Amino acid sequence: MRTKMITLCVNGRDHRFEAPVNRTLLQALRDDLKLTETKYGCGTGECGGCTVLMDGKDSICSCLTLAVEAEGRHITTVGGMTQDGELHPIQIAFIEEGAIQCGYCTPGMIMRTASILANNPTPSEEEIRRGLDGNLCRCTGYEKIVQAVQRASQMMDTTQIQKSGGMGQ
Amino acid sequence: MSEKTYVGKSIPKLDAREKACGQAVYAADIQLPGMLYGKIVRCWDHAHAKVLKLDLSAAAKVPGVIKVLGPEDVTQKRYNTGVLDVMVPEEVGQLLGDIEDQRIFTDHVRHQGDAICGIIAESEEIAEIAAGKVKVLYEPLPVYLSAEESSRPDAFQFDERKPGNRAFQLPEQMFPGNAYGWGDVDVEMAKADLIVEETFYLPKVKQCQMEPHAYVAHYDQTGRLNCWTSTQMPKCVQPKLARLFEMPISRINLVSTTIGGGFGARLGMVFEPETCAMALAVPGRPVKVQSSREEDWVASESRHPGKYWVKLGVRKDGTPVAMDAHFTTNAGAYFTHASGVAFTAGSWMTGLYKFGSIRYKGDTYYTNQAPSGAFRGYGNPQTNFALEQIVDRACSELNIDPVEWRKKWHKGVGDDGWCMGVPYSSCALDECLERGAEAIGWEEKRARYASQSGTKRRGVGVGVMTHTSGAMPMLLEHTTCTVKMNEDTSVVITLSCSDLGQGAHTVLKQIAADTLCIPMDEIHIHVNMDSAGFDIGSHASRTTYVGGGAVIKACEDVKRQLIERASIRLGVPEQALEIKDQQVVSRNDPEKILSVKDICRSGVYNFTNPETGETNGVPGQIQGYASHFPAHNSPPFGACFSEVEIDIETGEVKVLELVIAHDIGRAINPMAVEGQLEGGAQQALGMVLTEETSYDKVGLCRNNGFTDYKMFGAADMPKFTTILVEQPDPVAPFGMKSVGEAGPVNPVGATANAISHALGITFTEAPITPERVLQALQDQKVA
Repeated sequence: MRTKMITLCVNGRDHRFEAPVNRTLLQALRDDLKLTETKYGCGTGECGGCTVLMDGKDSICSCLTLAVEAEGRHITTVGGMTQDGELHPIQIAFIEEGAIQCGYCTPGMIMRTASILANNPTPSEEEIRRGLDGNLCRCTGYEKIVQAVQRASQMMDTTQIQKSGGMGQ
Repeated sequence: MSEKTYVGKSIPKLDAREKACGQAVYAADIQLPGMLYGKIVRCWDHAHAKVLKLDLSAAAKVPGVIKVLGPEDVTQKRYNTGVLDVMVPEEVGQLLGDIEDQRIFTDHVRHQGDAICGIIAESEEIAEIAAGKVKVLYEPLPVYLSAEESSRPDAFQFDERKPGNRAFQLPEQMFPGNAYGWGDVDVEMAKADLIVEETFYLPKVKQCQMEPHAYVAHYDQTGRLNCWTSTQMPKCVQPKLARLFEMPISRINLVSTTIGGGFGARLGMVFEPETCAMALAVPGRPVKVQSSREEDWVASESRHPGKYWVKLGVRKDGTPVAMDAHFTTNAGAYFTHASGVAFTAGSWMTGLYKFGSIRYKGDTYYTNQAPSGAFRGYGNPQTNFALEQIVDRACSELNIDPVEWRKKWHKGVGDDGWCMGVPYSSCALDECLERGAEAIGWEEKRARYASQSGTKRRGVGVGVMTHTSGAMPMLLEHTTCTVKMNEDTSVVITLSCSDLGQGAHTVLKQIAADTLCIPMDEIHIHVNMDSAGFDIGSHASRTTYVGGGAVIKACEDVKRQLIERASIRLGVPEQALEIKDQQVVSRNDPEKILSVKDICRSGVYNFTNPETGETNGVPGQIQGYASHFPAHNSPPFGACFSEVEIDIETGEVKVLELVIAHDIGRAINPMAVEGQLEGGAQQALGMVLTEETSYDKVGLCRNNGFTDYKMFGAADMPKFTTILVEQPDPVAPFGMKSVGEAGPVNPVGATANAISHALGITFTEAPITPERVLQALQDQKVA
């Protein structure tokens, strides 16, 4: 397989490495950059476990995105949500609402939530549920995840999100 | 500190912060120096075939391939991924007839996805490329997908030990007539005024834990075989691996990783044998095996599908005089849990209602589907689908309210439990039914939906259940726990209970904190298989109940030692001392007091005065210990109410609301209990409405991933009301009863009954898909 030098900006830091051109963003994050917080769940974009944020607003399935396609874009993983040990309100809401059980879907759920709230800071319950529909969870029945998104929405300074044009670094 | 500072509080899970930051380490996240990557090469093109020729030469030549392993390159010993052999005495195991019939790599493919060889390479990609170069010549064999097909006299025989491909039936020596129950069903059935009879079909449902199975194994320089695994039962897998690889148990070390969902999928062994076999082939090099979702689907176990025949005889007043039932389950390609599920499924029926007589038969047949195994509820959701629907059919024909019928006929305190001979110690099902009915608006909705027209039809249904808290006395119930108190009174609890994500470690810590009366954040839970004693594993809804019992006993042992030492130092008899606010104090003389910290500190930093020979306290670090065998299984009960709306033009069923009232005894952590019920309901609704692994005519799986296997998403879920009914169980630690396995059980029956209420049709086949609804409407000409 042909390889290429790739520069990926992840959580505010540039990483330069050589990778085969068919490398998915998920593989690049996990295997090349050793950022294992983004999870493999299906590899077909159905479970949402690999969800990351692109340019602070759009969530994408990193298993369906080639690493080369992400060049020049800002990628945020759940590891980038915490700043100097301070949790992001979404993370706090997930913890306190009991939205985390096995935790495997959590990184993707949190990044999807970041995208939902970046685009719509005060979503209705229906908008939250529709927004989360591409992220599967087998533990919680989604009830507490939906509550966590509602709580995060209340906790966050919405004007700040709009000003910065998104979330993450 | 009051006695119950933590028990009863919704405390976030201990590892929630780590998980919210993406820092929990699952097996696939492990990176070890010099690590190699293993690929299990599976048969994808056949469900049943002989391997005539396996050519690994081209695969071995791929640059970066370290080793290729065929069936002959690994142990020839057979194994059973299930763990019944560890849980029952050998003679019982022999009666049940469990056999070892699996091989690490096989030359006889019995289901699509069976493992035929392994590749070890420098990277996952290289292993994949090499896997594509494995050449196999197969001789196809006849494919059987149901018990009806495989039990035919001329069918291929899967195993000479199991003639007729019947892997299991209730053993005659234990259960004359291959059935259990009580009374003379034939005689009693004849006395019935109404007999309702139906055959129900249960789907092959996948656990769908979000983390696909992954492992790392390392045969290290000390000659130990280490395996990093997300198993639910490390202390059962250890002896099983030891036996398989003919190594002493001391040379098998299991390291529990964070578990990305279990639900039974990780009960016993999964791909540990293949991974360990690869590690043994490359001593000194760790090997990681990450399975794809598709592999996980076709090669690991699922819920047992099958055919459930039930015949219920009732008097005009509803008295259930006789129940006759026969569950024929589909084991799939290997034995695994062939005895366990077929055996247990009936006990959820005998345990639930006061039938005048009952006869349950359970048997299991081999087929060429992927193996069936353990899945949360262990036969209970299957029983619930059949039992709760047949009860409602009888109620409907006799014009009896289904809630009232259940209130009258469910078993309760003192009645024989799911395990005959162990009476129920508590039962709050009446309160569950009453509060649940009120919450959903039962009477009003039952009446309102009785006559409907239009394209949208609504219905409400009820389903009840009982389950267990641990498998005592049917299976071994044992948890060992040590509680070490440090010199500053902080505590380390060492045990080997697995936390599947349900929050087991959090509740165990809550229990310890309240038993010892110290803050939770001064307690650490240490899970290490070398230092921890035995625990049978996380199954049968046992960890809080049995693990909690062990924690309490070990903490009480700590308290006993503190009092013993204070007694020596204060010169006060032990019975006159109590522990209050971190002090050991005399009940009679408040002046006689010694701090717990003093006792702990002087036990560790114990100095002898060289002149007097006196010490500053009683020497020795405080360490409590318990090897706990529970005396009961305190079964929980529960009532679920479901409201549905059905579009009779599209056949689509929308679940509008679920009310789940659960007899929890005492909720140690209410938020975690709710999470179990809500999550369990997601699995139940999938089973009853959308989920089914299906096969084409030649036995190839049609839907080995989430694209074509519909699991409920956030937008599909109904409105939820969870009601925790707390009537403490008199024999349970803190009065607690279980919840985990109960979750996916009675939303199944409740929802099926709600559909039946809406349309007046009993759906005998799950999942109740739009196609099946439309077909049934057409057949019954509902307009």
